Amino acid sequence: MQTLTYRFPATQNTRRPTHIGVVASGDLEVLLDTSQDGDVAEVRVRTSVDGFDTIWHATLERFFTHTPLAGRWELNDFGATPAVVTLRLRQAAEAATS
Amino acid sequence: MTVDWQQVLARHSFIEGDALERATALLDPNSIRVLCGPFDRIESPWLEPQGIVPQADDGVVIARGTLDGRPAVIASIEQGFQGGGTGEVSGAKISHALRLAADDNRAGLPTAAVLLFETGGVRLQEANLGLNAVAEICSAVLDLRPMAPVIGVVAGEVGSFGGMSIAAALCTRLIITPQGRIGLNGPAVIEQEGGVGEFDSSDRALIWSIDGGEQRAAIGLADKLVADDRDLIRAAVVDAVAAGVPPAGSHRSERVDALGSRLASFDPRNPPAPQDLRRLWGSTFEAHDGARPATATASSAPRGRGRRWLAALAGTEPVAVIPSVLRADTADATYLAVVPDPQNPFHRARNGEVGLTESWALAVAIDDVIGSGTKRAIVAVVDLPSQAYGRIEEMAGLHHAIATTTDAYHRARNAGHPTVAIVVGHALSGGFLAHGLQAQQILALDDPGVEIHAMHKSAAARITLRTVAELDELAKTIVPLSYHVRDWAQLGFCDGLLPVSDADDPTADDISAVRKAVDAAIGAARSGPRDLSNRLESPGALTNRKASRAIRDAMSAQWRATETP
Repeated sequence: MQTLTYRFPATQNTRRPTHIGVVASGDLEVLLDTSQDGDVAEVRVRTSVDGFDTIWHATLERFFTHTPLAGRWELNDFGATPAVVTLRLRQAAEAATS
Repeated sequence: MTVDWQQVLARHSFIEGDALERATALLDPNSIRVLCGPFDRIESPWLEPQGIVPQADDGVVIARGTLDGRPAVIASIEQGFQGGGTGEVSGAKISHALRLAADDNRAGLPTAAVLLFETGGVRLQEANLGLNAVAEICSAVLDLRPMAPVIGVVAGEVGSFGGMSIAAALCTRLIITPQGRIGLNGPAVIEQEGGVGEFDSSDRALIWSIDGGEQRAAIGLADKLVADDRDLIRAAVVDAVAAGVPPAGSHRSERVDALGSRLASFDPRNPPAPQDLRRLWGSTFEAHDGARPATATASSAPRGRGRRWLAALAGTEPVAVIPSVLRADTADATYLAVVPDPQNPFHRARNGEVGLTESWALAVAIDDVIGSGTKRAIVAVVDLPSQAYGRIEEMAGLHHAIATTTDAYHRARNAGHPTVAIVVGHALSGGFLAHGLQAQQILALDDPGVEIHAMHKSAAARITLRTVAELDELAKTIVPLSYHVRDWAQLGFCDGLLPVSDADDPTADDISAVRKAVDAAIGAARSGPRDLSNRLESPGALTNRKASRAIRDAMSAQWRATETP
């Protein structure tokens, strides 16, 4: 297991805490909570698979470039592929801003 | 069940939903309120130190709401997270939700409970805390059941295995789908323990013929078989709740007589096929006078610790309820032990395992004590390697047989019989759930030969994909994983760790010291609570069950805040 933390600049606000997904094989859960800092997305990733720091950074950077949504993001990952990660992030963003 | 393809195509699958979706599908629209949800962040404290990613709600959704207008609480297990395994937090969530529902019923607010079983059993990464959590859930089901229906649902695809199946068998009514399975020992574990000749875990037809929903409904170990459809399952749950609380004594797990008759109906040396069992037993529970299960005619038991301590503590020669279950009576207490019986006709229960007839015989002996009209104590003397891992056991429903024993211990406790367990040797897994973990007071000898755990070490290592050396190393820092009784004693449910000079061949001083401790425990049980709530108030619990206490406090507060006016 590896814990990774990232910060991305953000411009949109999270309206409500949102929870998506399950820590199941090939899946992850995303907890998105509001935070005091309105201009940053703080991301903590706990992943069962070690050594994918670069891919996590690339996946998250790409998402937050398109969706600069501020808040506390907690990702509990059980071996999801980048595509599944992006899908869950989009679901969370949609639910938190709609 | 014939397949209706129109229904299959039109259905809205229940099985495909996650734990929250399943709970939502059952409750009335917009009535759902989740308690101790992900943003409360009470996750398992034991997983991250082992390098395992936790889930924010520990894989159990507790949801309050209404079911066709009736207040209810649902505990829904997430099958995707750690195979639905019961850990400290997930277990505490279920038992505390049941306790709060019972409190509401006592206060005149009828509240039913629905448990969605999707679990492989005790989460072996939290071993002893998970095992205890299952015992507390069983007790909480039994405390609630006389006041409000507790409905179990086994939808699939994981099914219900391990100790949680005992809780499922204690439910007022059990609903299952053809995809659902229920059993105590899963096929892979039986193959691992007993070899491929005992159970071929790659044979799916065999698995479903024994554990599958159709079979369980056909032999009366489930009450209703429903197709995988949200509307149909919801309707079945609503009906099951509306049917209310059956009269005392008529619950499946209270029917000790019917269990005896069922076990008497076949010869374990020449067992029927699962299909034949449907004809033999049918789906109802009937008792036939004088029918007794097959047992060896005479005991040739080796003199193990269980027998030795039973005789020593009672100060009298034990009598056999059956050759593998011994009983010894003093003026005011009955001592019970499960012991090896090399002639046991159930070949997987010859080394002191708790099998079908052992479960039945314990329940018979306990009911005999309850029927004696006294308030005599019951002392479980525990030295057992496990429950019986066998195909016949699963076919006949060992989870149900152990539920019958669990129910009997609970019944004795509630009738005012002080119940005490004294562990003198091994106390493992489902065997300990049957015989020991329902006691109000638990004592253990402080001896290296005493081992209390959810599973024996080599099997636990295999199942969690570790070597035995890795498991030993982790157990040095993760207390519930440890096989040392002194570590177990720190978890908050040990009421006395008793030093002895020789646990195999106790001296007169050993016997008198342990007897004194047992008598003190009987006194404490007599004056203490009849449920297991003291296990959360002990000094050990303050340190090692902080998460369980956090769940208790948070859920109680949220429950009050979401009380329906």
